[in-house]
Amino acid sequence: MTSTNCIRCASPLESGDLRCAVCGDVPEGVHVPPKNERLEKIVLRCDTCGAATRYDARSQGLLCSFCTGLLKSEEVGDPVEQTEAYLPFTVERKEAREALKKWLGRLGFFRPADLISKSRIEDLRPLWWVGWVFDAEALVSWTADSNAGSQRSAWAPHSGQTDLVFDDVLVSASRGLSEKEAYALTPSYNIGGAEPGTGPREDDAVVEAFDVQRSQARTRITRVIHSIAAHRLQQGHIPGSNFRNVHVCALLTGLETRRLAFPAWVMAYRYNDQLFRVVISGQDSAMLKGKAPYSWFRILGVAAGVLLLVLVTVLLGALS
Amino acid sequence: MTVAPSNAPALDITCTTCGADVVVQAGLRTTECPYCGSPHVVERPPHEDRPDPTFVVAFTVDHAAAQGIVKRWIGNRGPFVQAGIKRAVVEGTRGVYVPSYLYGARAHARYSASIGENYTVTVTYTTTDSKGNTVVRTRTEVRTEWRSLSGVYDANVMDVLVTASRGLGNAELEAVEPFDLRLLQCYTPDLLAGWIAEEASIAPEDCVKMAQGETRAGIERELQGFMPGDSSTSLQTKISLRDEVAHLALLPVWIFVLRYAEDKDPIRILINGQSGKVAGNVPFSAVRIALAVILFLGLAAGLMLVLGVFA
Repeated sequence: MTSTNCIRCASPLESGDLRCAVCGDVPEGVHVPPKNERLEKIVLRCDTCGAATRYDARSQGLLCSFCTGLLKSEEVGDPVEQTEAYLPFTVERKEAREALKKWLGRLGFFRPADLISKSRIEDLRPLWWVGWVFDAEALVSWTADSNAGSQRSAWAPHSGQTDLVFDDVLVSASRGLSEKEAYALTPSYNIGGAEPGTGPREDDAVVEAFDVQRSQARTRITRVIHSIAAHRLQQGHIPGSNFRNVHVCALLTGLETRRLAFPAWVMAYRYNDQLFRVVISGQDSAMLKGKAPYSWFRILGVAAGVLLLVLVTVLLGALS
Repeated sequence: MTVAPSNAPALDITCTTCGADVVVQAGLRTTECPYCGSPHVVERPPHEDRPDPTFVVAFTVDHAAAQGIVKRWIGNRGPFVQAGIKRAVVEGTRGVYVPSYLYGARAHARYSASIGENYTVTVTYTTTDSKGNTVVRTRTEVRTEWRSLSGVYDANVMDVLVTASRGLGNAELEAVEPFDLRLLQCYTPDLLAGWIAEEASIAPEDCVKMAQGETRAGIERELQGFMPGDSSTSLQTKISLRDEVAHLALLPVWIFVLRYAEDKDPIRILINGQSGKVAGNVPFSAVRIALAVILFLGLAAGLMLVLGVFA
């Protein structure tokens, strides 16, 4: 898919790119229509009836007003992406069920006592969700307040520039998983093990398509880079040990993006009459994100107990 | 929009459908045969001050939709506009592809500023209490310590649009921005057929200067927000731009000209032909505003009187 690199920022350009997605540079020769040395008058004609046609805003193409034929509707240049490779499932269906049981058992005291025995799995299906995995280098300009060099105030301002390298950063393009769910599962995947072209093997697998367009990736990727950079800068780059007001601005170069599909088990279980959703990584059953009911009886019980204790202490204090 | 830049002269052409003589107005790239209605797109030989367009953002708002938008917009102007506005006559409606430059660069800035870091101190002070005794008390006060900070900042700048038309100023273009530049298309005459397309009438160097100014202002704003501390002041910046690119792009704008009174200049309303965003200044009526103020004051006085009587 990759053909040439952007001259300015060395990011690979893809076929159909009118401008570099990273820095907005226009690649040489992408556009220029052949120069005409003399005056050209152009009348675009209908293929069917030969009448002159005009561009129609509603149908976004040339429309013939006589035979109302639409000549060619321009394909607007923002291609929808294709998945390049799939990560394989290494967690079996049975393991996923077990993982849910284990998780429900670990949730702690404030959950209903009969959570495990009364929960029924209603639906368990494999899903391949999609995301961008990118590598990039960035010159990150930053400013922040930290405790280093502080005088009367606890804070002193600092600024600097740091070269950071980003490897295998995963940004979700999924519509099926929420951003939180995708983020929770991210560490479990072995990105190096992606198999090009291997499609789904499970019969009932839901395979997401990239329906977020390529140019939208830029804003999401920038957001993720900024938050990762802010985090990494606080580990040794900004002097000091306490930080606030960390501002970053990344100048990206050589941004390479891969489009991968990630395996996950999406599970719905029913407790009493309520449905809850849990997502389990398809590569590590311990990585799991989901919702579970609380036991209001237990929570209120504890709250009442604490309140009683406080009251008794206060009363005792008042009496003595 | 009645500008005749010397670099795009008026032309006589022969209609390729009916053979009639058709005039292409100076400064325009399109025309329509008055006899048979065939829309023509004219491409003049290139000229250094008049580069061929590289990109087009196509119209997606058609005439009927634009009219609806204007009607609704005028309807929502509130009670204080001039009396005739809501019955104003539309004198002209034109869907125009406005030439503009799409500018981008790599920006490098050096900055210095004073950063205010707050701290609290406990101060003792003497005062007299309610019984008239002199007492010593303490309170905490927030004070600011000023530290100087300097640094460098690098960023990519893209998607800066400036007008290349003398007929539509940069402020007016900004008022209907943003355009969704993800839907940029390469220039083809197909997108222009049947519409008014203007030739660039401001020289490329002047447009680039304008774009640089806009970019510098944008980076200064960015840097204001980039400063740490509880507050900051006296920000000084030195911005340099390199790897600049500027390409001519045609942007879709609906222009409505409204006449609301015989003796007044018509007003101009612009609509973004892609998103439908409206911009325009409607003259307010001083009389109506004055009346409203008088009415309000009268009501307030009346209310006070009534309350005074009851009290």
